[in-house]
Amino acid sequence: MTGVRYRIEARGLTQRFGRNVIFKNLNFALETGSSFCITGANGSGKSTLLKILAGIQAPSDGSVTYADISRGALIKECSSCIGYTGPLVNPYDDLTALENIYFASGRAEKSRIDSLLKCFHLTGHEDKKIRHYSSGMKQRLRIILADLNDPPILILDEPGTNLDESGRRILRSYLDSVSVEKAVILATNDRDEEKLCGRGIRLG
Amino acid sequence: MLIRQVIKSFYILMPLAILMAFLWAPSAEILGDFSRIIYFHVPLAWVSVLAFLVSGVLSAAYLFDKKQRYPWLDEKAFNSASIGMAFALLAVITGSLWAKLTWGSFWNWDPRETSIVVILLIYIAYFSLRSALAGNDRRGVIGSSYLILAMMTLPFFVFLAPRIYDSLHPETIINADRTPHLDDRMRMTLLISIFAFTSLYAYILHLMNRALAVAKRLEEEYHAAD
Amino acid sequence: MVREILRNLSKDFSVEFRTRFALNVSIAFAVTATVSVSLTAGGVPFPSLVQSILLWMIIFFSAMNGLSHIFVREEDQATALFLRITMSADSIFISKFIYNQSFMMIVLAVVTPLFLFFLQVKVILISYFVLTILSGGLSIAAGATILAAMVAKAGGKGSLFSILSFPLLLPVLWVSIFATKNSLDGARPADYNSLVFLLAFSGFISAISFLLFRFVWIED
Repeated sequence: MTGVRYRIEARGLTQRFGRNVIFKNLNFALETGSSFCITGANGSGKSTLLKILAGIQAPSDGSVTYADISRGALIKECSSCIGYTGPLVNPYDDLTALENIYFASGRAEKSRIDSLLKCFHLTGHEDKKIRHYSSGMKQRLRIILADLNDPPILILDEPGTNLDESGRRILRSYLDSVSVEKAVILATNDRDEEKLCGRGIRLG
Repeated sequence: MLIRQVIKSFYILMPLAILMAFLWAPSAEILGDFSRIIYFHVPLAWVSVLAFLVSGVLSAAYLFDKKQRYPWLDEKAFNSASIGMAFALLAVITGSLWAKLTWGSFWNWDPRETSIVVILLIYIAYFSLRSALAGNDRRGVIGSSYLILAMMTLPFFVFLAPRIYDSLHPETIINADRTPHLDDRMRMTLLISIFAFTSLYAYILHLMNRALAVAKRLEEEYHAAD
Repeated sequence: MVREILRNLSKDFSVEFRTRFALNVSIAFAVTATVSVSLTAGGVPFPSLVQSILLWMIIFFSAMNGLSHIFVREEDQATALFLRITMSADSIFISKFIYNQSFMMIVLAVVTPLFLFFLQVKVILISYFVLTILSGGLSIAAGATILAAMVAKAGGKGSLFSILSFPLLLPVLWVSIFATKNSLDGARPADYNSLVFLLAFSGFISAISFLLFRFVWIED
């Protein structure tokens, strides 16, 4: 990822459900090498905002643009430059972790997969079916799957869910190291994770 | 507004069509007064086709109108389909009465009868799908997609299938709707009746869409009060 | 795109064949239906038209028991979002389409010999019979794939899938039944127009499905 610089920009994002306004006119921009936290109570629209930023959902109003600054070009479809995960992104129960990884990426190198598995303490469990995983292991696999293709923009919805204290520590040190070269966007209510972020907004 | 003119014209056209159908138009040579059912059967069938076409067009418009500049197109398509269904059932009933009088049995499975059954099945499926999707925010998109898919395959049925079928069974080329030797007064009555039923359709659809708008407003007021 | 399709296919085959749920249900239905028809008939052969109607009804409903599973499973196991962010809608549709075609071929390979065996069916125009079965099956699976996606979004409720499929696939069943009858009794030479019709129908409905799929699949 070295040398590649991306920028993600939200302009006037507004989300409505019927007449209920969830959030209104959000503007912010973020470049690789920085991190951004979205906090707020349950139901304040954190997950929806992240889905919009990841291009999974369209906002009621406003737009999200992605740009490759190193080449000075706007990118329309950016599915390969975004890694997204959240509580609703479930790996296949009947596949092993490694099979899920190969499904999520056709081009990740063996060395990268091994180092990610090692980093999240899943080495030795990669041939187990997800059905037999604990919820904490599943959560760690989610983060591996999101960052597998080494995307310049990493969008994580509640990455600390189901993790114990040591899991959270691993996660924080991992996020700290990747935010040097990636744009990391987090939705979280965890104080320690919030400290990782350079900037942030509070919804609701 | 065009729709107001159409609705006003209904109050003139419909009584006129009924009077003409029963009093002014001559009875046919062989069928006698039974033939007067044509002034109701043909317009009913025409309106059902029109209503189904309108619901298909509205569905396609709904899928392409991503920003929802026109509100509730999918529900309007549903309204039009409901009217189409009612008119199609009436057309089937009047048609089978007529078939009984001309061909001696209520049902012959001739190509037109077959295609109306398929159309009815398609719309029954569409209504089932809509009810299965109650409360789902994907209801409009999925219902509309099904309607478009169904309409696209309809030509295969209406035009191609009977021909292949006929090549196997030439005796089934019976067109119960063929109406030879319509004189001018009959033609005039039929035309007026078609206009009358079309304005009736526009009237009902307009009413249903207004009721829909009111229901939506009430729903929003209710939620806004929360 | 080709690599995405292959990845999704290999995933679908491993997931489906580890549980074999859909395939088991389809085959079990086919066997039960065929055997019970044969049992009640008591060894008396049916006229060729009745035989072809029965054959296509068994094929249709066996297929209906399994063809929707490929999409319903993604919703049931809540893996749809993972699939959604992993690859494009086009790749997903094409791979699911190919999967359903292979599934259909397996169902046909089981149902047809079973039916011929239990109902004492004699086929006169053998190659025409085989081609009719194959192209009829192709059309059914082609039309059923997009409907499976719709039914999955509707919560995969019971018989909704058959209700949606039947009117759309009626032309296919109709043409297939008459072509099969013809191949069983050989009353007239093989009529390849009906095969052309079936192939044209498959091509047409696949194209429309491909265009509609992204509306059904992508929520926004």
